[in-house]
Amino acid sequence: MKRLLFLFFCFYFLTLIQTSFLIHFNLGWQLGFLPVLFLVIFINFFEGPSENIGIPSAFLAGFFLDIFSENFIGFHILILLLVSLFIKFILKKYMQIPVWEKIKK
Amino acid sequence: MKLSPKFKIGIIIILLIALFAILNLTPAKKETKNFFYLISSPVQKTLWRAGMETSDFFEMISEMKNLKKENEELKLRIQELISENISLKELKKENEILRQALKIGLQEEFKLEFSQVTGIDISDDTILINKGLKDGVSKDLPVITEQKTLVGRISEVYKNFSKVQLITHKEISFAAEIEDYNQETPILGEMKGKGNLKLLLDLVPQEKEIKKGDVIITTALGGIFPKGLLVGEIQEVFKSDIEPWQQAEVKPAFDIKKLETLFIILEF
Repeated sequence: MKRLLFLFFCFYFLTLIQTSFLIHFNLGWQLGFLPVLFLVIFINFFEGPSENIGIPSAFLAGFFLDIFSENFIGFHILILLLVSLFIKFILKKYMQIPVWEKIKK
Repeated sequence: MKLSPKFKIGIIIILLIALFAILNLTPAKKETKNFFYLISSPVQKTLWRAGMETSDFFEMISEMKNLKKENEELKLRIQELISENISLKELKKENEILRQALKIGLQEEFKLEFSQVTGIDISDDTILINKGLKDGVSKDLPVITEQKTLVGRISEVYKNFSKVQLITHKEISFAAEIEDYNQETPILGEMKGKGNLKLLLDLVPQEKEIKKGDVIITTALGGIFPKGLLVGEIQEVFKSDIEPWQQAEVKPAFDIKKLETLFIILEF
């Protein structure tokens, strides 16, 4: 629960930075979308098999992106959930990096 | 009762769809967004300002590379514009002079060629103008100002330039008359150049009364200059009972320092 709360604030502020700060740097929409996307990919890539924060991360990240964008709520959630599920599928099938577990230990 | 994973996933998907539908199809979407905008507003403002200042800073650094180049380009452009401006001013001036000349009727009276003074030799009472053989200029043609004031005559002609002997030149002498509307017969005399921008009116009969301030104009006698051109103004009269003629010092009507544009009378 604590971890979820941390992710909530983390994605909230990251989205704010992305939509209010990075927008000035003429990076374009695609690049502006990257910080949150990178974090989602990072979490999903390096979480252990027993961890369950990848999907909630994608959901939270997508939710905040939808809040601070003109799209309907669910647009970024769906995209990031799909990204998260795709990573999980790839990792489960072909490889596993137990970084989170090692850190936990 | 233990739920199968597939069932769990199905329930989650249904719940998600329901949540999205509620959020998007009801006023809840606006309310939710408004709530987050409200609580985020102070942070957003700070971040917005910080982003703007930071991007300005980086933009300034990246612009600095181009500043030198831009500066040089602008300097070149300024020089171009200055030279363009100068030529336009010259054209404007020329245009004004031509207009003035047209107003006086010079163009109707004579066939004129516009010229500009390019050099002055006061010690020799000559000036150099920028019109020559290729412009149809020939020796002995009269040169006047736009105010119909006699300046001199062409003494030497080059391809693109001509030398003009001022009427004050020692070699120049011509017939002139004193403009006096009260007298039926004009008072005639001979204008002689004395050099150093000085003129002398000579051969004026003793019985004729001339005084300081009388205006002298050219006469058609001798055919050197056309009639009616302004020559100058009497400054001082020299009268002697012994001499058969009286003389007068004449101040030329043109101002050598202001001679800039002239007209050559090609035909009169």
